[in-house]
Amino acid sequence: MLLLIKYTLLYGIVLMLVALGGMFSEHSGVINIALEGIMVIGGLAGVLVVAALPAGTSPAILVALAILVAAAAGMVYALLLAFASIHLKADQTVGGTALNMLATAIAIILAKNFNGSTSAKISYTNKAFLFNIGGLELSVFIPLGLVLLIVSYVVMYKTRFGLRLRACGEHPQAANSVGISVYTMRYCGVLISGLLGGIGGLAYVIPSVQTWNFEVGVAGTGFLALAVMIFGQWKPINIFGAAMFFAVFKSLANIADSTILAQLGWSNNIYNMMPFIASMVILAFTSKNSMAPKAEGIPYDKSSR
Amino acid sequence: MAKNNFLGLRQKSSGILASLLCILIGLAIGLVALFIINFQHAWGDGFIRIIQGGFYDFPYGVGKTLTSAAPLIMTGLSVAFAFKTGLFNIGAAGQYTLGAFGALYCALMLGLPWYLCLLAATLFGAVWGAIPGIFKAYLNINEVITSIMFNWIGLYLVNEIVYARGTGAMYDAHNTRTWKLATNAPQALIPSCGMSELFHTNNTTIAIFLAIVVAIVVWVVLDKTTFGYELKAVGLNKNAAKYAGINEKKNIILSMTIAGALAGFGAGLFYLSGGGEWNPLNSTSLPAMGFNGIATALLAGSHPIGTIFSSLFISHITVGGSFLPTKYFPTEIADLISGIIIYLCAFSMLFRGRIEKLLLRDQDKTNVNAEPAKPKKEGV
Amino acid sequence: MAEDFVIEMQHITKEFPGIKANDDITLQLRRGEVHALLGENGAGKSTLMSVLFGLYQPEKGIIKKDGKEVRIKDPNDANDLGIGMVHQHFKLVECFSVLDNIMLGVEPCKGGFLQKDVARKKVVALSEKYGLRVDPDALVSEISVGMQQRVEILKMLYRDNEILIFDEPTAVLTPQEIEELMEIMRGFKKEGKSILFITHKLNEIMEVADRCTVLRKGKGIGTVNIADTTKEELSRMMVGRDVQFEVEKVPAKPGEVVLDIQDMVVPSKVHKNNAVKGVSFQVRQGEIVCLAGIEGNGQTELIYGLTGLEKITGGKVLFQGKDITHATIRERSKSGMSHIPEDRHKHGLVLDYTLEKNMVLQRYWEPEFQHNGFIRRDAVRRYSDRLIREYDVRSSQGSETIVRGMSGGNQQKAIIAREIDRDPKLLVAVQPTRGLDVGAIENVHKQIVAQRDAGKAVLLVSLELDEVMNLSDRILVMYEGEIVGEFDPRTTTVQELGLYMAGAKKQQGVQ
Repeated sequence: MLLLIKYTLLYGIVLMLVALGGMFSEHSGVINIALEGIMVIGGLAGVLVVAALPAGTSPAILVALAILVAAAAGMVYALLLAFASIHLKADQTVGGTALNMLATAIAIILAKNFNGSTSAKISYTNKAFLFNIGGLELSVFIPLGLVLLIVSYVVMYKTRFGLRLRACGEHPQAANSVGISVYTMRYCGVLISGLLGGIGGLAYVIPSVQTWNFEVGVAGTGFLALAVMIFGQWKPINIFGAAMFFAVFKSLANIADSTILAQLGWSNNIYNMMPFIASMVILAFTSKNSMAPKAEGIPYDKSSR
Repeated sequence: MAKNNFLGLRQKSSGILASLLCILIGLAIGLVALFIINFQHAWGDGFIRIIQGGFYDFPYGVGKTLTSAAPLIMTGLSVAFAFKTGLFNIGAAGQYTLGAFGALYCALMLGLPWYLCLLAATLFGAVWGAIPGIFKAYLNINEVITSIMFNWIGLYLVNEIVYARGTGAMYDAHNTRTWKLATNAPQALIPSCGMSELFHTNNTTIAIFLAIVVAIVVWVVLDKTTFGYELKAVGLNKNAAKYAGINEKKNIILSMTIAGALAGFGAGLFYLSGGGEWNPLNSTSLPAMGFNGIATALLAGSHPIGTIFSSLFISHITVGGSFLPTKYFPTEIADLISGIIIYLCAFSMLFRGRIEKLLLRDQDKTNVNAEPAKPKKEGV
Repeated sequence: MAEDFVIEMQHITKEFPGIKANDDITLQLRRGEVHALLGENGAGKSTLMSVLFGLYQPEKGIIKKDGKEVRIKDPNDANDLGIGMVHQHFKLVECFSVLDNIMLGVEPCKGGFLQKDVARKKVVALSEKYGLRVDPDALVSEISVGMQQRVEILKMLYRDNEILIFDEPTAVLTPQEIEELMEIMRGFKKEGKSILFITHKLNEIMEVADRCTVLRKGKGIGTVNIADTTKEELSRMMVGRDVQFEVEKVPAKPGEVVLDIQDMVVPSKVHKNNAVKGVSFQVRQGEIVCLAGIEGNGQTELIYGLTGLEKITGGKVLFQGKDITHATIRERSKSGMSHIPEDRHKHGLVLDYTLEKNMVLQRYWEPEFQHNGFIRRDAVRRYSDRLIREYDVRSSQGSETIVRGMSGGNQQKAIIAREIDRDPKLLVAVQPTRGLDVGAIENVHKQIVAQRDAGKAVLLVSLELDEVMNLSDRILVMYEGEIVGEFDPRTTTVQELGLYMAGAKKQQGVQ
């Protein structure tokens, strides 16, 4: 049971962070299919920092630096999406798909280059990221994630920035007519999604193992986060709930065999499938009354009114 | 009349030029990456080998190119077909997965001949394509989201059935893959007709010709028939199509079903040629063939015939990448290049507009004398 | 000049690809006046105001505020200069509250955090001062169009704007709401605010404006004092010649009933009520029946129900005696129903298809145009060339023109050609002259009358009362999904119709 809680928390926080990232991007009006790729790049950058720093580095500096670099890398990568979809008015889903493919290729090339070999596996120590509460081994990403959740909620609903961001995703022409720069707000939205996605990527890779093979990328977690965002109806608190709900299934996929659930005889494939099916069901039932930002996916053109 | 033809030609050529520009930029960035990784060997052992592609190891390499081009043409057609009807089929990977299952199940479990296995692959892919179509038509849910979800559902589903906790009858525990068709179900292999001997491979078959024939059929259907007229009308303006009495729901579902069938057919071509076996333990990534199809479709400007060439090109550089000396370079350089090419293609319309303007300017210069005739013609 | 101009726009020129939307236009706004800007659709009014509001940058010309030259790069600059605008299509975020919409862009903040209480106080005070009744916490998606306009006006007042631009504000309002708006404008004038009022309705100008600048085809025609002018003169300035207010036609000779609608009910897409609430009427051969009403009173949905674009939930549709209530769109089209749709870009045309492909939009499947599923290109081309010739559809490359590149008038001509040439029993024409210039309107009216005289049944939906009065043989007024009155255009007046359209009167036992 303790194991289930641990895995759920670890994985749930990852999903929540990335889904919150997606939420910021979509509320600004840009569909972010590239979350998967952003996670890969963020995770890679963070892991490289951890692996490259000398062994004697103080844990606090190590953790801080890795997270900052992961966030920065995620933002830089997200900038590619922002540039293509905001400035060049590219098809956002096509651009995002390209970035996902590109991310895996880049990650493998960089990892192999880092190793100087044909292996894309990078080894590191993750001790600095872990701590213990009552026998429960947790990562620093859990408190960090909860803080970011609260910050996200406040930013989205209590600040000027949040109000303007949402206006750009709902009705960019209206936002522009009251002097809000839609381009700037959309860049901000996508960059925030890069920040959260990058941290999420690191949070996915680091805590559970000490070696990561970048040939598997982040194994579809970015896409699952997209499902979480939809399941959470583009609202921070709901996203938190959805992330935890999905994480339970994912954790069961890992540990079901060692619990009472083994009697059900379900394999990990079934548990893995559940969240995707659940979000399809939710989509089907909410389709008539979707909470999705109305202008998402539509490039904003100043001259069309 | 001549002028009108010229205009059509201009639009086509600007599309081709835009694609070539994407390729050039992609290659240039790949070259830069090669230089950064290993400056000394970047040109001769790196770039040249990628450009040479299969010809580096002729004829074996070319055979390899053809083997992988056949399924790629099909996934490319799948995406292109959906694009033509206004849909983005990011689900080709999932449809391909189901197609692979259909082909392998019929081959290994039922012992059916190759053409029936191929048909099964097509049907399985079609079903998996139809689902997002139904969600789109009846619930108006974006096909991209549905396709992504069903990609993963399909992957887990197929892995579950094939693996069955290690007891699956199709599963060869020794190789951690499905059984080889060559040894366990030779009747299901697509005939080679001497292609394998010609190219010194064991998996080059007539698949490439089948793919080309399908591409031509798709082109004719889209361009020459009332069915294609309806599909494209729905894609360009759903409301006007409805107004014209076209059943737009039926067409959306049909379009996705056909796209799925094409992807499934592609999976059949690959696995029934003995191009590889399915690994059910890999539950972390979808078949790359599905996503590469997006690249070839975009590069071809969604033109069915163009897809043949763009698929051959992508296969060519991928095979070229696999010939890179691994002590100097990672083979993923080729993936990097094709990734960059799709990224560029995402906004290639922009290039296209620029190129069209350039061509137009030239035309205006040469046609100065023809100008006064124009208003007269309009006034008639 | 000693005159006190609060805004001067001098020699403004703004070009778009292929068109000069504004050509050397000069506009001078006096402090504290209501200044009307008159012109037909496409005369350049909206473009000129967008330039003033910073949405477009002019190629030539300067703008002066209080005599000093200013540059207005974006709406922020306009706002800083005290210029506010009520857009024709409201710029409101539907899922935001009224309060959020009003303060958006100029939110009161402390360290980046919103202070909604401060904003609420100001909004409540303003709404009381000017009598603009709104509920600050209601969602914009749930309030009426009239209230949405009040929100737009409050947005300007909240920003302490001194120069208020109203872009066609009355198009969506009932006559009573229009009267209220005029009153509000007069109130602003008393406060010393200056108003620019864009419209093409002469009555409203005569009622409320002090001066009027007239635009035609992107050019400034002149500025006149309303006190010294007449409607006729303004109209002449607007269209460049005397308007032919009458359409020549002989009295109708109605024949057999072609269309018989019985108790039709159509649900609304926008709200939970029915948009059409049990409507019944008939259309006979050789007559033009007109459905009049303010936009959004169920006319669109009624036509959708009739043509099959929307399913009806109650009642029956009989066409030439046959029940077609559940027939598909294709079946209705085959049995002789033609439909000139309200929105030509949404329904009428596949903009990225060539003209010839659009000409056979409902007929591509007929044996004439296809053989074993293959399209007969030469037959399509011949047919399209003939329609282009007979109906004078102008385009750059004839049948091969991509329709997107054609002018709105020629796009509409193509649709009308296509629908009329199918030789229908019933012609359903919804706002067939929307967005067309005067010459084109006349042409369309002639075509419609010719169809009537050829013995066809015509159902016309129009928002323009002039068109309604001139063209129809019978007028049905729709209000809130019901038919509230039936009139003979020879014995009724526009004023009478207006009362019914606004729901102030209702005939008993019409249905």
